Amino acid sequence: MIDDLIDTLIKEGGAVKPAPHPFKLSLQWIAGATLYLTISLLVFGVRPGLSAQFHRIGFDAEIAALITLIISTSLSAALLVFPDLHQIRRLAYTPLAAFALLIAALFVAWQQDNPPAPLPVHSFECTLGIALFSLLPAIWTFFVMKKYASTHYHLAGSVALLFAFSVGALWLRLHENTDSVAHVIEWHYLPMLGIGLLGLWLGQRLLRW
Amino acid sequence: MRRSLDGDQRAYAALLQDTARLLRPFLARRLSFENEVDDLLQEILLSIHKARHTYDGNRPYKPWVYAIAKFRLQDFLRAHYADQLRHAVNFDEIEETLPDNVTETAFSYESIHEEVQKLPVKQATILKLMHAEGYTAKEVAEKMEMNESAVKVAAHRAYKILRKILER
Repeated sequence: MIDDLIDTLIKEGGAVKPAPHPFKLSLQWIAGATLYLTISLLVFGVRPGLSAQFHRIGFDAEIAALITLIISTSLSAALLVFPDLHQIRRLAYTPLAAFALLIAALFVAWQQDNPPAPLPVHSFECTLGIALFSLLPAIWTFFVMKKYASTHYHLAGSVALLFAFSVGALWLRLHENTDSVAHVIEWHYLPMLGIGLLGLWLGQRLLRW
Repeated sequence: MRRSLDGDQRAYAALLQDTARLLRPFLARRLSFENEVDDLLQEILLSIHKARHTYDGNRPYKPWVYAIAKFRLQDFLRAHYADQLRHAVNFDEIEETLPDNVTETAFSYESIHEEVQKLPVKQATILKLMHAEGYTAKEVAEKMEMNESAVKVAAHRAYKILRKILER
């Protein structure tokens, strides 16, 4: 029975192009996200006084943490599509460190937000905007991941969706004219928890093989 | 593996055969039936074939193979236990068909009194004292000037004879 199966597989199997290294895959996603961000910021414009914002440590730290989150989630997603995580398992958990960095950055920004900046008139529209912006990177990431063989499909789905949502969050932070840290935490970053959970479910639906 | 990725059929055949030999004991230790091992081994070989492009030959082969094998084993066990749960008996459904009191004996001493009388005198007396009059084995032993163990042995033999008679 096993021998028959092996015979069939040999007949089916020809030369196969090996998957790219996860670092290369990750770089492709980051390059794609950078291009998408650049075009979107050119189309929608950046927030007024963006260069002045970069003189605030809190804002700098937040943007740096978001960029770290994008890099770490893309790297983690790229590793998680390999059954053995390309045998560099530890790197797959780097998003945890990036989240810790983001929390620390938000804490610094919170301390600096004194007196607190006025809350903007809108609320959930920000979450919706980030989600809509993230759709394209999310579809692309899942489409690429589906070609491989993830044995951690829940986690892979979650990390992929967080990567896309982080790209959206960075875009909105550079586009929206808001200084209220409370608003940013509530409507930009807390929804990430829900996105992570949604990713667990999506991973099971889309990445199972 | 690198040669099989290049399309070398002989190398690929040897690799799959070696992999099957490597994984069979791994699965046999975790599954109860030989047919389950065979089914899962086939499933794993198919998965290795489907995922072979995720291995580039530049890192150790065994961790890659075992990652796939463990993944398929978990899938198999999950499906297996889910299936067992689906076919498990729901006690609420069979409650009405169960006897009212399953701990009570189906018959009393009185109902088998005639059969007891047919037993040797000593055994019949012991059963009468223990089950009709409620004496303990120790009290019966004192009453009949026997030791307690002898009473218990006699009672046990009597039960065996009665069981045979009642089963007919």
